[in-house]
Amino acid sequence: MKTKKIVSLVLASMLVVSSFTACAGGKSGNGIVDMTMFAAMAGKEKDEGNEIKELIAQKTGVRVKESWLTGQNAGEAIGSIIASGKLPDFIDGGDGSIQLYQNKLLVAWDPYLEKYPNLKEMYTAEEWDKFRQDDGKIYWANVFGNHYKDDTTTGHNGEAFWIQARVLEAYGYPKIETLDQYFEILEKYAKENPTLPNGTKVIPYTCLCEDWKYYCLENAPMFLDGYPNDGCVIVNIDEGADKPKVVDYNTTDTAKAYFKKLNEEYAKGNIDPDFAVQTYDEYISKLSTGAVLGLCDQYWDFAYNIMGPFASPLKASDGSQFRLDELGCDYVPLGLTAKAGMENQWHSYGDELNNASGCAVTTACKDPELAFKFLNSLLDQEIHDLRFWGVKDVDYKVDDKGCYYRTEEMRENWKSDSYKAKHSCEYSYMPQWMGMSKDGKNYMQPAEQPAEFLAGLAAPLKKCFEAYGAGNYADMVGSKYVVTETALPWYPLWSWSNGVSTDTPGGTAWKKMGEVKHKWLPAIVISKDFEADWAAYMDAYKGCNPQDFLTEAQAEVDARLKTAQSHGWKPAA
Amino acid sequence: MENTTTTSTKKVVEADVKKPRLTAAEFTKEFKRQWVLVAISVAYVIYGIIFYYLPLVGWLMAFQNFVYADGLTGSKWVGLDKFKFLFSDKTFIMVIRNTFAMGVLNLVFSTVFAIGFAILLNEVRNKYFKKTIQTISYLPHFLSWIIVVAIVHDALTSTGVINEILMTLKIVDKPYPFLQKEGWFWPIVTFSHLWKETGWNAIIYLAAITSIDPCLYESASIDGAGRFQKIKYVTLPGIRPTIMILLLMNLGNVLNAGFEIQYLLGNDLVRDVSRTIDIYILDWALDGRNMDYSLGTAAGIFKTVVAMTFIIVSNYIAKKRGDERLF
Repeated sequence: MKTKKIVSLVLASMLVVSSFTACAGGKSGNGIVDMTMFAAMAGKEKDEGNEIKELIAQKTGVRVKESWLTGQNAGEAIGSIIASGKLPDFIDGGDGSIQLYQNKLLVAWDPYLEKYPNLKEMYTAEEWDKFRQDDGKIYWANVFGNHYKDDTTTGHNGEAFWIQARVLEAYGYPKIETLDQYFEILEKYAKENPTLPNGTKVIPYTCLCEDWKYYCLENAPMFLDGYPNDGCVIVNIDEGADKPKVVDYNTTDTAKAYFKKLNEEYAKGNIDPDFAVQTYDEYISKLSTGAVLGLCDQYWDFAYNIMGPFASPLKASDGSQFRLDELGCDYVPLGLTAKAGMENQWHSYGDELNNASGCAVTTACKDPELAFKFLNSLLDQEIHDLRFWGVKDVDYKVDDKGCYYRTEEMRENWKSDSYKAKHSCEYSYMPQWMGMSKDGKNYMQPAEQPAEFLAGLAAPLKKCFEAYGAGNYADMVGSKYVVTETALPWYPLWSWSNGVSTDTPGGTAWKKMGEVKHKWLPAIVISKDFEADWAAYMDAYKGCNPQDFLTEAQAEVDARLKTAQSHGWKPAA
Repeated sequence: MENTTTTSTKKVVEADVKKPRLTAAEFTKEFKRQWVLVAISVAYVIYGIIFYYLPLVGWLMAFQNFVYADGLTGSKWVGLDKFKFLFSDKTFIMVIRNTFAMGVLNLVFSTVFAIGFAILLNEVRNKYFKKTIQTISYLPHFLSWIIVVAIVHDALTSTGVINEILMTLKIVDKPYPFLQKEGWFWPIVTFSHLWKETGWNAIIYLAAITSIDPCLYESASIDGAGRFQKIKYVTLPGIRPTIMILLLMNLGNVLNAGFEIQYLLGNDLVRDVSRTIDIYILDWALDGRNMDYSLGTAAGIFKTVVAMTFIIVSNYIAKKRGDERLF
């Protein structure tokens, strides 16, 4: 009896104690410090004990465990991190970055920039100024699209109407300039080739419209009218680059024509009937089957996720093996416009500075000194090579001139998701370079090394580029050569609109406009009475007071222009 | 703390010996006899205070323009502004409607189906068959919503199994877009709940049925009652108290019509009928692009007040009618 009483007392007290204690983190042996990073983006986790991660840890003394969005959207993820107070050491808050700053959860870069030359070198003083918040300090640095010396881009990371190379090949690589031509060959090809060798039914066109990624559906009218990706509005410079005028692309004739076209194609069955209800995961798995002939999206949003499946062998219905990339399922970008013969700006040349988000160190980091030292080391050429090229002789070879190259097997390895999980460690949301390597011979990232880029393309893709006389993806889009960073000082304006809060009338209008568009855009695509629904949509849209937003957008453009002019900017002659 | 201990002790004592007052000596004696029970209940009292009562301090946020960095003490007080915004926001009125509708559908159907299923199961003679069915039926309860939604979503898309069947049977000639239709959303949610929870909910009714005195059935048989009459006159009245208690408890949950399923299954085309209060709160309070904790808290308070009112009113009605009740 006595023992029973004691046991129950012990259990009761344990219950109380357990509600107070929380678990505490630890340090691993051999002086390596474990840190964490959260990026408010979809991504792939690395395996425990990832080989290159260990190599980097030995050289820098820091090992970072990265985690990604799981199901929720970026804003919600950052919101719950702030609310729970459970911060990682490093964070890329995406759209929520400004909230992290306002809640005083980030460590300022300023003192460390002076100490760590690699970090400071990432941007010019003028560029760093763009990252300054209202307290005059820098809290994050965007890590993408930043070229060391020259722009050597081979890719097209931005948005385009993409089409499988095999569709173009089937009709002798025709010139496709408009939506009409685009949907015409998609429809024709799907009729003539209704299934893949394994029996999967093809889908002529799909379109993601989940959460903020509904840009795939939403912003094409801006590009179709020949403007670059300012994301929230068109900035018209007909009267000169020093007199920019903000225009709403949602209500233009092009917008109406575009949605009418989608509506017609949907009725004809050329658009995926599930496009409006699919999640991002479903979208990616759909693309991974090779069934989707065409889509509108930004490269980074889909391409990296389908490389693995496209390069792995599949079994055809007749028992033979085939690979999607060898079949010509790889996507090539098309720079479509509202009318044939117009100039387009789907591709923007030069670096694109997004000051709205980036890699940051949080106040939860116990040793910010070490954190910044680590970020600095990541930009050392030796470690940068480890991140993007891999281990010498395992992942790349060096020829007698000192140029890096990969063998076919190495290339295949780097397309395989399981190999990458176990072996490669890009720390892809931490500071990095594109462009020429510091040795002056190689390139920072293999995809930019011209020989490596071409060798890495599947045969049908290479054939397609050759047929159009394009050396790479950017040539394929065929945009007007505008170095947006210098020609359009407010560009990209989405780095502002992504961060507007509901505190101002313009911000509230922006939120409401988003809600109306989220609801109506897919609805007008599937509508049985386009004209009536378009009118209803326009009514609902006007009810959001879009003018409030446009006024604030114009003010932001003017402010950015003024800043640039104070640094001596002048419109190109 | 001292106070709580004494009260809970008192309750135990009262229940035990039904004496209104105790002398100090008697109290000490009782306490010595029951100190283990007291110790255990103290743990729960502490748990309750920490996890249910202390967080209520956060309700103050609803009356402030709360800024995380300034904290509860530093943020600006704005009175009822947040509530005014809520009730003038059309979206909020819409999410209340959705939450109520789905909550009521859920409550009605899940109660009816669980009782029905429990009775059917009870009538099964073969013990082995009965156990197997019961186990299979409550297994979905252990699946998380994300899995259930994935299954439902897959089944209902244009290439899903439902459309395949409908097309094979020539009921439709083109896949029917269930997930795009506003009218289908509530039925789909209710059905998913039923699929997932009926087996589990039936357990408690089944237990209640088992505890009915077999003599009642025997005498009913002697009186010439058939199966259906036995269900009507013995089983149902026998589990009536259980039904009432569960109904009362679930009424308080009507506004908890759900978050996960609507969040995961909803899409832009059906957002006007799919979004619930919880999603609204998430959107305003926790989304990094709005981060209005105050508004989220205000919406949360509204939800709690409505739930409390529901329970109190229905409990009062139950009391008036002489039925089983909570308090």
